[in-house]
Amino acid sequence: MAVKFFGQFLVEKGIVARDILLKAIELQEQKNLKLGEMAVTMGHVSPADIDRAHRAQLSRDIKLGDLLVEMGILTLSQLDEVMTRQKNTHLYIGEALVLVGALTNEQLQHCLGEFNTDQAPYVSERIELPADISNSDIWEITADLTYKMITRMLGFPFRAGKCRAITAVDVDFSMAALDMSGDVEARYIISVSQELQKSVARAILHEESVENEPSEVLEDTVMEFINVVCGNIAAKASQKGRIINISPPVTIRPDAAGLAVPSGHRGLCFPIHIGENETMQLVLFIKD
Amino acid sequence: MKRVLVVDDSLSVARQLEKIINDSGDFTYIGHAKNGAEAIKMNHSEDPDIICMDMNMPGMDGLTALRSLSMLDKDVKVVMVTSLGGVGDKFTEALKLGAKNVISKPFEAGDVLQILREL
Repeated sequence: MAVKFFGQFLVEKGIVARDILLKAIELQEQKNLKLGEMAVTMGHVSPADIDRAHRAQLSRDIKLGDLLVEMGILTLSQLDEVMTRQKNTHLYIGEALVLVGALTNEQLQHCLGEFNTDQAPYVSERIELPADISNSDIWEITADLTYKMITRMLGFPFRAGKCRAITAVDVDFSMAALDMSGDVEARYIISVSQELQKSVARAILHEESVENEPSEVLEDTVMEFINVVCGNIAAKASQKGRIINISPPVTIRPDAAGLAVPSGHRGLCFPIHIGENETMQLVLFIKD
Repeated sequence: MKRVLVVDDSLSVARQLEKIINDSGDFTYIGHAKNGAEAIKMNHSEDPDIICMDMNMPGMDGLTALRSLSMLDKDVKVVMVTSLGGVGDKFTEALKLGAKNVISKPFEAGDVLQILREL
């Protein structure tokens, strides 16, 4: 069980065939206009304006709407109108499946109910973060899904400690890291003791003992854990219209002095107390 | 028995899938490629019936490899096994490129076998 989108759930359950889903997605792509297309349709800009903005966007890390405003092509209130129209006319995948005849409205409502039940374990809970952290909704999802996956994948009883801002991280036995990019930029790190690393490996490999496993395999299990957590974070973020890309995970080996938060980044640490006396740390280096 | 190639940079995922596949009685695990480029080579040398492939791998990623495999070999059935399955755009791109299905991580043995048996 993982964070899913509705179409995937329907295909997995055999309710909708792969080719029918693709047909519905094609319909969505025809009906759901992109921001530039919608702005042209509403008469606020010309196709030539959009071309000019797209060319300028090639060398900038900026959303098209913000750029159109910056270039004086759209006013802020026009941008707001365009985005509202996009939202109000959005054709959802369930509606598209009804339109292509794959589901009736009654079946859609029933399937949505089943989907919500399936995804209930992944409904986000509030996490308290230090004030003035940008994109705090994403970091709340990040911590929340990490906790949920500790239960789901590792089966560890745990107690989440209070999140705190940090300037450096103490080195632990094993540290796995994964870079996030897209609407946010950050490095996600999980650090574990030697004993916790073995516990993670036993859970991931479904083995009673991992005493004879090479260190490469033990490290790999922690990397795979963060890969799955971060993939599910990307999925949850995409449900909120946010894009997060993830890189393959790596094992990092800082020197004994510890790992400093890179300049231009904020550091957050979420201690996770496991069992009687072990602590796993979730660390985020978030680009300002 | 249908022969299955696993493509994932994670040794632990390859081990999990090897066990699920070999314990099923319906499929045979024939090997493990660590990235998309290795997958294309092993598809040529081992001629699997099914490929279970990750998306997020160093070197050639899974979607790039899927694009090539779909052009090079019309017979092989590719199922993506990925933590990114719940990202709608990634799921859609995989199906458009020819994947038969997408399995999200973390997965259960029963879910994997159900999808492989439906191919």
